Amino acid sequence: MSEPVRIQEEDFSQEAEIAELKASSKRIGGIATFVGCARDFSEGRAVSEISFEAYGSMALAEMRKLRDEAIEKFALLEARIVHRVATVTAGDNIVFIAAAAEHRAAAFDACRWMIDELKQRVPIWKKEITPLGESWVTPHP
Amino acid sequence: MIRVLFFGPVAEQVPAREMQLPFSAGMKLQDVVAELSARHPQAFEFVSFTAVNQTQVRDLQLPLADGDEIAFMAKFSGG
Repeated sequence: MSEPVRIQEEDFSQEAEIAELKASSKRIGGIATFVGCARDFSEGRAVSEISFEAYGSMALAEMRKLRDEAIEKFALLEARIVHRVATVTAGDNIVFIAAAAEHRAAAFDACRWMIDELKQRVPIWKKEITPLGESWVTPHP
Repeated sequence: MIRVLFFGPVAEQVPAREMQLPFSAGMKLQDVVAELSARHPQAFEFVSFTAVNQTQVRDLQLPLADGDEIAFMAKFSGG
């Protein structure tokens, strides 16, 4: 079993993450997932690469807290959060969020809540590298 | 000593990812903010969050202890 909350450089496998979720309980009736991936265009500019930086210890602690809160708030059976900190190109995976619950409504709601909260609370920054130069990303709603 | 960390656009402006400041008795977060924002005003234009020992803090009157770790951070943009 891999840790349910991780920050890692390497890519993740959605299938492997979902398999671990399913293995955690036979009471799961639905799993909602969100995969954030790299775009090749942003704010009217072509983007060649995106690089990530994290305050690792605080980011991991905040992501663990977020998972615990989601499990409590939405009565989830299990949840996983994996964020890559690496330099990625268009189409590459960035973040994986999954919420497993008895019913779909809680799974969908929790998944949305976790990615929204992650963007607000977890100290990770992205820099877009374009043919014209590099710039740090201003958060989107 | 107080360990000070900078990340993302803040680090780029300082420019450094880390520095050490001597600790003195009675030191508060405000003292560090005042000293570093005077030395690196452009970097502090990007600072939206401050953490002490990996916990976000808003109270600049927070007393510091020898060995504390302070992070100055821009708005997060993960995900």
